[in-house]
Amino acid sequence: MDLSRFNLITIATPLVLGAGVLLVMLVDLLSGRANRRPAQLAALAVVLAAAAVCLATWNTGGVSFFGQVSGDGFASFFNLIFLAVAFLVILAGPAYLERNAIHFGEYYSLVLVSVMGMAFMAAGTNLLVIFLGLETMSLALYVLAGFNPARQSSNEASLKYLLLGSFATGFLVFGIALVYGQIGSTDLARFSAYLAGAGDPFAGYMGAGVALLLIGLTFKMAVVPFHFWSPDVYDGAPTVVSAFMSAAPKAAAFAAALRIFYAPAESLGLPWERILWILAALTMTVGNLSALNQASIKRMLAYSSVAHAGYLLLGILAGNELGAAGILFYLASYVFMNVGAFTVAWMVNRRGEGRYDLGDFAQLGFRRPLLAAMMSVFMLGLIGIPPLAGFFGKLYVFTAAVQAGYVWLVVIAVLNSAVSVFYYLRVMVIMYMRENEALKDVDRIPATFAAVAACALMVILLGLIPGSVLDVARAAVASMP
Amino acid sequence: MGPLTLITFLPALGAAAIGLLPADNHKAIRWTAAAFTLAVLLISVMLIPQFSQTHTGINDVDGFQFVEKADWIPAFNISYFVGVDGLSFPMLLLTALLCFICIFVSWGIKKGVKGYFALFLLLETGMMGAFVSLDFFLFYVFWEIMLLPMYFLIGIWGGPRRVYAAIKFFIYTLVGSVLMLLVMLAFYFNVKDPVTGANTFNMLAMMDQANHSPWLNLFNVRVLLFFGLYIGFAIKVPVFPFHTWLPDAHVEAPTAISVILAGVLLKMGTYGLLRISFPILPDATHTFAWFLALMGAVNIIYGALCAMAQKDLKKLVAYSSISHMGYVMLGMASLTAAGINGAVFQMFNHGTVTAMLFILVGVIYDRAHHREINRFGGLANIMPKYMGISAVAFFAALGLPGMSAFISEAMVFLGAFPVFQVYTIIGISGIIITAGYVLWTVQRMFFGEGLKDEKYKGMSMEQIRVHLPEINGRELFTLIPLAAIVIYLGIWPHPVLGMMNASLVHLVELVKAAPVVTAGLF
Amino acid sequence: MDLLHLLNQGLFWFFVVMTVVSAIVVVFSQRVIYSAFALLFTFFGVAALYLFLAADFLAASQVLIYVGGILTLIIFGVFLTAKIYTMDIPQQTHQRYLALLPVVAMLGLLTYGLFTADWKTVTPAAEPTTKDLGQLLLTTYLVPFEVASVLLLAALIGAVRLARPMQEEDRD
Repeated sequence: MDLSRFNLITIATPLVLGAGVLLVMLVDLLSGRANRRPAQLAALAVVLAAAAVCLATWNTGGVSFFGQVSGDGFASFFNLIFLAVAFLVILAGPAYLERNAIHFGEYYSLVLVSVMGMAFMAAGTNLLVIFLGLETMSLALYVLAGFNPARQSSNEASLKYLLLGSFATGFLVFGIALVYGQIGSTDLARFSAYLAGAGDPFAGYMGAGVALLLIGLTFKMAVVPFHFWSPDVYDGAPTVVSAFMSAAPKAAAFAAALRIFYAPAESLGLPWERILWILAALTMTVGNLSALNQASIKRMLAYSSVAHAGYLLLGILAGNELGAAGILFYLASYVFMNVGAFTVAWMVNRRGEGRYDLGDFAQLGFRRPLLAAMMSVFMLGLIGIPPLAGFFGKLYVFTAAVQAGYVWLVVIAVLNSAVSVFYYLRVMVIMYMRENEALKDVDRIPATFAAVAACALMVILLGLIPGSVLDVARAAVASMP
Repeated sequence: MGPLTLITFLPALGAAAIGLLPADNHKAIRWTAAAFTLAVLLISVMLIPQFSQTHTGINDVDGFQFVEKADWIPAFNISYFVGVDGLSFPMLLLTALLCFICIFVSWGIKKGVKGYFALFLLLETGMMGAFVSLDFFLFYVFWEIMLLPMYFLIGIWGGPRRVYAAIKFFIYTLVGSVLMLLVMLAFYFNVKDPVTGANTFNMLAMMDQANHSPWLNLFNVRVLLFFGLYIGFAIKVPVFPFHTWLPDAHVEAPTAISVILAGVLLKMGTYGLLRISFPILPDATHTFAWFLALMGAVNIIYGALCAMAQKDLKKLVAYSSISHMGYVMLGMASLTAAGINGAVFQMFNHGTVTAMLFILVGVIYDRAHHREINRFGGLANIMPKYMGISAVAFFAALGLPGMSAFISEAMVFLGAFPVFQVYTIIGISGIIITAGYVLWTVQRMFFGEGLKDEKYKGMSMEQIRVHLPEINGRELFTLIPLAAIVIYLGIWPHPVLGMMNASLVHLVELVKAAPVVTAGLF
Repeated sequence: MDLLHLLNQGLFWFFVVMTVVSAIVVVFSQRVIYSAFALLFTFFGVAALYLFLAADFLAASQVLIYVGGILTLIIFGVFLTAKIYTMDIPQQTHQRYLALLPVVAMLGLLTYGLFTADWKTVTPAAEPTTKDLGQLLLTTYLVPFEVASVLLLAALIGAVRLARPMQEEDRD
């Protein structure tokens, strides 16, 4: 047997994570019941090791394991995004978990397992691998969403996510089966070759297959009309988990979508373009309009992330290299803004879980100026004010869409961005301009603060060197087989 | 690193330095801010002798001075491309001067001192950057950078209705920038760099009509883009009917911020029209010059009438700004050398004069804690020095001969009259209204029976002087340089006019060379 | 020969009808216990259909996993739930007209596929497929196979987490 077909370099990063999961469980077991610090440190070490491996094997893998996975720059880029998010939520998490008396070692292993699933979603060149990665990721998330069994809303979030998520993956599997039935393979190269060659993207079961694939993926992205779960789940889940969920799985879903649809984007045909067009327009509009009137910061951020999924769809729709690279850049900046914003949200929450009132932010600008300044960076980044990273993400994706001829959709997107200003700005108004409601002080938690500061720094940094990061993203897209 | 980069980023560096200082050491924070703005002012002034008055600029890269160019985002052909010509250099000097002065105007700020001065310096970076940018994208970035500090400065340090005013300001301006962004992208996709053949954000490349795509050569498209930009800039100027944010913002903003708002930010609107709309879309500009002139005339009359009706002194000055920016619009619409020189000179003069007026409003407000004109009276006896310096400012605002504003207004009318007789006559009649409200205000505030305020009833002059002390040294220090400039340029305007003449004449020729399109419009 | 073919056909249709009818009972029955037992027939029917496709391994797994594992679990669950007979378990449908829209769309796409698909016919292998499957799982599909085991690991950790009591009780 030819062993060179099993090139472990291609899956080095998820392998490290897999070993890490076992290590973290072992450390947690050995370190006694009340002490979770060793597990946290082990998890951080695992993430750093995985990141080091990811950088060391950047774009060296190539397609391996009989065409099942590709360890290209695309996978490496996304792995780095996932790992960054994992690092931040693991660093920031303990204080929150302690506060709610739910500090269990499984938090760390579940986060790592979930990231491992995402890594396979980004690396998979076969629909089966992508599906299994998505299931691994989701399963860990279902449990994480219900990580606080004492709170009803957490249980509700978990159950809702599980039920709806299972349906979505059911659709995805059905779609894969239909695609297999049509082309006799689950290999993505065959899939795009078929679409490019056949000319008719609706031949036989292809139409139904692609439709179901899209439903499965857009559910994970929280695209309208498959977004109903996201505000309830983000709101009910423990907030550290919401931070993780709103960032990494969305990125993973877009990674999978790019893997599947980037190459055959040209040959998908007009009906799919129209459907994606409508989905994108609906998603950003519904997301933004719903976010306008939310009293809870968690629900507001949930709807805002729906809106961002809409902007990101523009990149998929554009189907050109800039669109794909733009999505990579957009996600690289978006995850930091979202993780940062969610983390600040639970840091300032003084009314107890389940009551995430925007009023918690009152006078934060004077109580904790640095924290408020960083929250402002996240809000402004989400609006897309230059020169923050969020602006360039939008610029790249919108530019790509214009190049592909979707001028009106971009106009809708720009107008939507203008609408979004209202609710993002409201947070800042409250932080700096609303009178104090005699709120208790915000805890000083160095590790969590460091995580938020790292997020803010990245949002600013990515805005200062957008060109070189885009070049890396472009190379990553070009390295896809 | 060239002088323009230094001028642009020194204030941001200052903001960072202030960020490192302890929050309760107000003295160190203030003096750091003063030092950085002074450095910027000194560098700007030292550039004056090096600035060639014969270089044209506008659309000619060799005509720009102190040019710096470096790649920023090569994938999109976005470069860090800065330089000045006769249009931007006076604005740069004005900004440097007003920012330095405003640090001293802000000396009395007590709440969140650190944040205030840091944001103020950041604002200066935004303004300087916008004036020196020659890349549309860079201009847009700096334009947005200005927006945020301003929003916070009004929203946190403003008056009782500051939140409302700040949000209104933000939303109006943001709508403007969204329009500008869309037009910018439209230009980007339809302008090819002559050397590389790629799309570019370079303004100078955009000004060369040969680089435009066929779509961008459709006149209807050009008109659409022209009005898109027009609304974006008109909000900033502000031109009627986009002006409603201005009185609110001015009334609520702290004194120094009003000064910057009126003195520099309003000019950003007319500057944008001259820097971007005029040379990139000369035919649309030439065709719709009458519209700009009409709006100018409307602004002059509308602003003056509103000013006359105000009881609040600060609102009066705010509306007078709207009126005075009307002269600028009228002057630049005329497309004559005299008119456009007058317009840009008026931008400079309005900056200095209105700065004085707002500082004076701040001085009296700090003492009386109200700004109602009718509750003052007889201030000439109580605060004679204040009265003296106020007289200079008010007379300059009304355009008295011997003051700088007279020259610029006269040039505007001289230039505009042959082209737009009706609008110019309407505009000139605005002067009469201006004289009316200025003199009426001076009369109500400084002369007459004495204070018409219940609070001071029965007090002797000595007791009143305790409540309303004479203008102090720091305040005079902020006002006297401005007064000196106003009078000096009123007698000898050449230093500023000489700077800008070559560029502006070139701009007029550029626009005039483009055809007036009358047929086939929509 | 003809008789055999007829028998074959008859058996096939028998299982088809059995599968569909029992599935309908699963969905529409008002009693959970009826649904559970009807599900038994559905699973068996599906397993039989796999046999018709010469997928012997799949049929065996279907019986072992679904009938032997999952269904037994469900029935145990039903038995162990107190008052299962007296409790009113609502099984109504909400928003049926809205649901009709995607259902009809999907039906349309699938029916369209039914008539336009390029149906492939494969001669069934004479010997059991187990060996081939095993080889494929450890060569071509090694990565999915291993990821599936990670998936099980995730499920295991999750189950442990959910089953364990809260921290307070945990600590003493």
